[in-house]
Amino acid sequence: MKIRLVCSAGMSTSMLVKKMKEAAEAQNVAADIEAVAESQLKNHLDQLDVVLIGPQVRYLEGKIKEKVEPQGVKVAVIDQMAYGMMQGDKVLKQAIELNGEN
Amino acid sequence: MNNTFMQKFIEIAGRIGSQRHLVAVRDGFVAIMPLIIIGSLAVLINNFPAFGSFDMVKILNNIFGEGNWQTLGGSVWNGTFAVIGLLISFTIAYNLAKSYEIDGLSVGLISIASYIILVPETADWGLNFAWLGAQGLFVAIIIALLITELFRLLVKANITIKMPDGVPEGVTRSFAALIPAMIILALVGLFQALISVFVGISMFEVIFNAIQEPLQGLGNTLPAALVVSFLNHLLWFFGLHGTNIIGSVIEPVYLPLIEQNASLFQQGMSAFDVPNVVTKPFLDSFVFMGGSGTTIALLIAIFIVIRREKNHPYREVAKVSAPAGLFNINEPVIFGLPIVLNPIFLIPFILVPVTLTVISYIALSTGLVPKTVAILPWTTPPILSGYLVTGGSARGIILQLINLTVAVVIYIPFIMAGVRAMKEKMGGQ
Repeated sequence: MKIRLVCSAGMSTSMLVKKMKEAAEAQNVAADIEAVAESQLKNHLDQLDVVLIGPQVRYLEGKIKEKVEPQGVKVAVIDQMAYGMMQGDKVLKQAIELNGEN
Repeated sequence: MNNTFMQKFIEIAGRIGSQRHLVAVRDGFVAIMPLIIIGSLAVLINNFPAFGSFDMVKILNNIFGEGNWQTLGGSVWNGTFAVIGLLISFTIAYNLAKSYEIDGLSVGLISIASYIILVPETADWGLNFAWLGAQGLFVAIIIALLITELFRLLVKANITIKMPDGVPEGVTRSFAALIPAMIILALVGLFQALISVFVGISMFEVIFNAIQEPLQGLGNTLPAALVVSFLNHLLWFFGLHGTNIIGSVIEPVYLPLIEQNASLFQQGMSAFDVPNVVTKPFLDSFVFMGGSGTTIALLIAIFIVIRREKNHPYREVAKVSAPAGLFNINEPVIFGLPIVLNPIFLIPFILVPVTLTVISYIALSTGLVPKTVAILPWTTPPILSGYLVTGGSARGIILQLINLTVAVVIYIPFIMAGVRAMKEKMGGQ
């Protein structure tokens, strides 16, 4: 599963990515997770499954949805509490559930 | 809180935060930040203060001859901070072009060429450094945005040269840009000719006198600093990236102010005597310690108030947030505590930075603490940042410590209230 996290500077989100990778490893989920800036997202569209948006840039949701949803990519804003507490497992779960919806 | 009002607020802030031209301006500034920081550090090293008997500047001067080794830092300054106008004219045009998915490299180059066309020449056919740097910033922004729009219109109208198939892509691209570039540069050249014949002074002087100088004068006042501080925190309270949203507006105003300070410092003026009190590093180092809301003080306050209950949710959040907080990254505490849309923390989250802005302004403007003369990476931890930003003064550290204490004192009662509210909620269940 290919997941991209979108935020502004990539600082705090990259911390979350690290936690998510650990969670994925612990649960034996094969996941390709990376944090990218919004402008870089278009270079990651290939095989992309889920885009998660940092809560501090949630105003980008509409714009990103418009861009990637037609290609079947699921988009959501990261749960605020899980983001704040850097709960990689919860955010991973959010991504997996999102990916499962059809 | 009224829900429709909140939706509206987020929508408007979001529209500003994702407006194409504003994003291009902001990203243009982000792109040159590394160069600015390097230029800034070069100046700091050139003017490094002595520690007691250890005076690095003196020692190096003795080795290489008076002032010789400092030409290194001076040259680095010339290539970075001294030419930010020129640099930004490229990066903004490039970013805007990218957002339209047109040829960013060509547009950026045309933007630089247009900028040079308009820069006043010196008597001996040189470019005037005065207008390549911060003083030319507004013209640079205007040029970059206009040129990119013009280029886009010309490309859209299909006024380009088509190359036959089989020609390498790089060649095709440079020729595709040829006619739009020709038209744009001819127009800019014509404009420059007209303005120098009929007005007599350059475009740069006109814009600087009419727009940039008044705005900078306004920016260097306490009320403006308070407005910036207030808006930033209001946006963060709604969970929106405040610095990001207002960045495109405040960078062009505040960057020239620090440039002026740093440049005078480079020429040997003391950090006490440089003119501008309010700069971006002023806010970053003395107010936004640990991130917006001076949240490092909030973390300290949590550790003070909640000592016994090791597993209290606030304490858990503070523990998770502390390491990143030292480097002024505070999303964990903002979203985890949460501060966002939490009525208990609305007051201190805005009151603390506003109070600290006032204290710091007084301390710097009365000359108790030297003014800011350097731009640092925004992740520089407090204490270190206070020392470096004032050109190496312990008074910068003292001001930070006073500010932190004030902030902790303001936060404490609100944390107590939060703890009590949480207990009552638990008890009621």
